[in-house]
Amino acid sequence: MNKKVLVVDDDPDVRSFVVTVLEENQYTPLVAHDGIEGLEMIEKSAPDLVILDVLMPRGSGIRLYRHLKTDDVLKNIPVIMFTGIALKSFLKSQKALDEFKGGEIPRPDIYLEKPVEPEELVRAIQKKIG
Amino acid sequence: MEIKKLLFVTKFEDLCYDALNSLLSLRKAALDHVVFLNVIEREKVSMKRGSGYLKEEEVKLKETANIRFIDWAENLFELGMEVGAYIEVSDLIPEILKVIEIEKPDLIVIGRSHKRKLEQLYSRSDITELTRRVRIPILVFKHLGEDKVVPEELFKRPLFATSWSTSSEQAVSSLKEMGKVIGELHLMHVVNEKDLKHPNSHEVQKVRKNERKRLENLCDEFEAVGISARPHVYVGDPEKEILKAAKEYQATMIILGVSERSAILERWMGSIARNIADKSIYPCLLFPVVS
Repeated sequence: MNKKVLVVDDDPDVRSFVVTVLEENQYTPLVAHDGIEGLEMIEKSAPDLVILDVLMPRGSGIRLYRHLKTDDVLKNIPVIMFTGIALKSFLKSQKALDEFKGGEIPRPDIYLEKPVEPEELVRAIQKKIG
Repeated sequence: MEIKKLLFVTKFEDLCYDALNSLLSLRKAALDHVVFLNVIEREKVSMKRGSGYLKEEEVKLKETANIRFIDWAENLFELGMEVGAYIEVSDLIPEILKVIEIEKPDLIVIGRSHKRKLEQLYSRSDITELTRRVRIPILVFKHLGEDKVVPEELFKRPLFATSWSTSSEQAVSSLKEMGKVIGELHLMHVVNEKDLKHPNSHEVQKVRKNERKRLENLCDEFEAVGISARPHVYVGDPEKEILKAAKEYQATMIILGVSERSAILERWMGSIARNIADKSIYPCLLFPVVS
């Protein structure tokens, strides 16, 4: 059975690009438009991998990532961050939230800054879930 | 009412990161979430004879906005804040209302209206339209002076002009939540000249004394929550007097409750709050009528 990959991104062009890449490589794509819908889909569909944007309406990827990594059930789902936000800013935000909320959140498995070539995305996915 | 989430509506013309930066003192109160909204006017990408819908123009405008928002969001994320963004081809007011419905912000920040006078007369200014249709405070952001200087501390010396209306009461309860943010609050009430028309000066002095007392009581309420406040009674045309007081006390912003007037009356005469928000050089925080 094909592995399920959830794409959480508010940009229709990006969703379309990632879905095409996934389908062409025998993965089953799932789609969410923002952080809140993303969390609902993760809880409902238990994807094998999440490809997550950061700057989105209704709940950013920063909060969703944090939620995933602090949830005992969901924390083992691998996450590829796929965003225009610089890694440095992402890490600083997590550090600020660590200080404010306590705890330390692990770095994302893979952090890709948009845009990427299809091959790079496929390599990243294969590295995490084969 | 705490301000935890603000909706920042920008066309990038007069409302940029420096304006947002001047609002970050609200973090000391409760602010931890900023939602950006850029509305691309339909006519910029609409069907044109010979070229159809300007898809490439839409992509260009959206990506231009996206690049700005990413840059701003990085700064806010680094502070540990939550950030969201919407970039839509739409009409301004309907889109703002749509995003308010989804995001439920506590404050809207918007630049001054760019409609021309004639347009405003027939279709109202964006600010007027917004104050009639939302129930949350609206900060109409202005640059103080032509050199486009943003007041670094917007809440350092706000002037709150109360009309003792329900929307002014709403302003009072919100301001009380901003004890850590507000520097010195100047409280004023403008007495109508006709209330001073009396053959006996004693009666006239009584009006002033009563209003002063009322303001002092309100100051005490603010002092009780840690906000230093000073009362001022003015007499005359409210619009002119409020601007006079703002100048005299070097206010960093004007805070007003919006009065309820019939739509027709307002179209021709305007309301004090909306006129000041549309025309003055001061940033204005407007509290809409509570239904």
